[in-house]
Amino acid sequence: MSDDDMGGSGDEDYYNDYYSDGHDPDVETLDKTLQDPEYFEFQCLTDTEVERFINERVEELSTSIQVTPSLAKVLLLMCQWNLSEIVSSYRADAHRLLIQCQVKPSMPANNNNTSMVSANLVSATNTSNRSTTNTPFPSNVGLMSSTSMEKAGDCVTLCSSSSKSECSSRDVVCGSNAIIQQESDVKECCCPVCLCAMKPSESSQLSCCHRFCNSCWSTYFDVEITQGITTRIECMSSHCEVLAPEDFVVPLLPRTRVREKYHQFAFADYVRSHPELRFCPGPNCTIVVRAKDNKPKRVICEACNTQFCFACGCDYHLPTSCETIRRWLTKCADDSETANYISAHTKDCPKCHICIEKNGGCNHMQCYNCKHEFCWMCLGCWRSHGSEYYECSRYKENPNIAHESVHAQAREALKKYLHYYERWENHSKSLKLECQTLNAIRTRIHAKVMAGTGTWIDWQYLLDAATLLARCRYTLQNTYPFAYFLAPGPRKDLFEYQQAQLEAEIENLSWKIERAEMTDRGDLENQMDIVEKRRTTLLTDFQP
Amino acid sequence: MASGLPKRIIKETQRLMAEPVPGISAKPDESNARYFHVVVAGPESSPFEGGVFKLELFLPEEYPMSAPKVRFMTKIYHPNIDKLGRICLDILKDKWSPALQIRTVLLSIQALLSAPNPDDPLANDVAELWKVNEPEAIRIAREWTRTYAMGN
Repeated sequence: MSDDDMGGSGDEDYYNDYYSDGHDPDVETLDKTLQDPEYFEFQCLTDTEVERFINERVEELSTSIQVTPSLAKVLLLMCQWNLSEIVSSYRADAHRLLIQCQVKPSMPANNNNTSMVSANLVSATNTSNRSTTNTPFPSNVGLMSSTSMEKAGDCVTLCSSSSKSECSSRDVVCGSNAIIQQESDVKECCCPVCLCAMKPSESSQLSCCHRFCNSCWSTYFDVEITQGITTRIECMSSHCEVLAPEDFVVPLLPRTRVREKYHQFAFADYVRSHPELRFCPGPNCTIVVRAKDNKPKRVICEACNTQFCFACGCDYHLPTSCETIRRWLTKCADDSETANYISAHTKDCPKCHICIEKNGGCNHMQCYNCKHEFCWMCLGCWRSHGSEYYECSRYKENPNIAHESVHAQAREALKKYLHYYERWENHSKSLKLECQTLNAIRTRIHAKVMAGTGTWIDWQYLLDAATLLARCRYTLQNTYPFAYFLAPGPRKDLFEYQQAQLEAEIENLSWKIERAEMTDRGDLENQMDIVEKRRTTLLTDFQP
Repeated sequence: MASGLPKRIIKETQRLMAEPVPGISAKPDESNARYFHVVVAGPESSPFEGGVFKLELFLPEEYPMSAPKVRFMTKIYHPNIDKLGRICLDILKDKWSPALQIRTVLLSIQALLSAPNPDDPLANDVAELWKVNEPEAIRIAREWTRTYAMGN
């Protein structure tokens, strides 16, 4: 061993340390994923740590481009937390970025007063860049009332006919957020939503200058938050997409329970939108896993030991890809009518893959989760769809011929599916049975040691073998969905060849473990090595 | 809040009665002030001209925070309205805003009758014909208007 070794390297690869010193350039440059296709770097964070992590990003952005944390959160969320990109596009064209992120209204306002609104925007730009979105614009007080009157349209006339004294608005927490204005400058007008007169001190607006009374805002927020919408609450005005940031919403929430709900849902939104973070799917587990690469790799939660795939959050499934395993599992749930119903009535959103049930006749769908607009028939993006709509309903060229072979096709398809399903299910059962074998091994070791044949340490290899067997069988199980969806061809041939090899070696290992005696140790360890090599080769060759 | 009708509904109703939208009548039900009997006249120079279409409009508990529910009671041949009278209109779904009103909704429905939008269809067969053979679709729409929306 050389002196270099004293420096030491990572704890995980003590194996490498043993055979080669940590500073060997050949080892340094080696990609760890090449040695172990399942290697993945990740961290388990508690909710306080995640909060700190999120707050650090928010802080970083807000200091680097001088915006409030609340606004920084909106920008980060809208841009998938790509901090450097936000900073550069903010420096390049802040106005455009703010419109893109729905912080400011887009220029072509869809009402008659376009010219007035855009004129206002120009003057307001500098103010809002420097501070919050709901910064008061002292210079455009007159415009605000005219905008809301124009938006309100009908209600202005309504209000003038009713006595203003009877219009009372509920007591609402105005907090520091309510927009401060010289009240004398603004004449009282009515809120376009409740049609009650509103005082400027009891009303608020976003950067789009659509003014509503605080009471309506809080009822509106209440309704949205109950539906789980927090970070994407839009202005109340029709066709206005300006988002209400946290420091606008929270002071207008009168009830603490709603406020708590808001924070809770918003936190979940932040974690879900962050490409480096993922909630541990373990029951009641609050751990969030952080990994730099958003790849379908295995993650093991430190708190609850749940194993899952980082990319999709489901059970770990290599070599099958996330999309394939999802299709497979849906298919496997086919033993009940539910799956039939799901396949008949629902589709996955093409963008965020959430399951959507169509409850109306209209084929123009908008995902409630990610707001993606798509066509129900072809699942294509709606925007590009436009006039070519009918391409996706035109298929059935000769319905009779198609109909005749449907039965035969279905039968063939079912046979193929059952072939793969039986094997998948069989390995799942074997995995459970081998858990029992493990217990049996423990008792056998105990008996042997007590009988004086060997010591505890002599028998440890048997436990290692059992663990390895479980790991290999798990991978083998997950090769079946992959094979099922693999298109026929040389790649499939190669895959099935390797799969068969792996399967044969696994069965060998399983057989040997069940009948292991101390004298077989060398043989067993050799077999373990073969199996693990086969497994790694298959995983390396068929990475999703 | 729960007791009685919100001021907004009362005012909207008063205004609808006092200054009705041309070509549209909306009257609240005697027993339920949230339920409106709506009649829309088929717009001029549309295949629905001369027809009188009955609709129902209901204001849910959360109104105006959630959209009113509107449905055609009279059969109509239109690419955005299905057999059950359900309407595909963005402001009745995701584009609803609390700043919109019964009046604006009814105006939008009237506009939909003047300008059917087969690119955003609800009734697929109707939309298909509307795109492939518009004169034929218009002819059927006229026929349906005569059969179901005239007389009685």
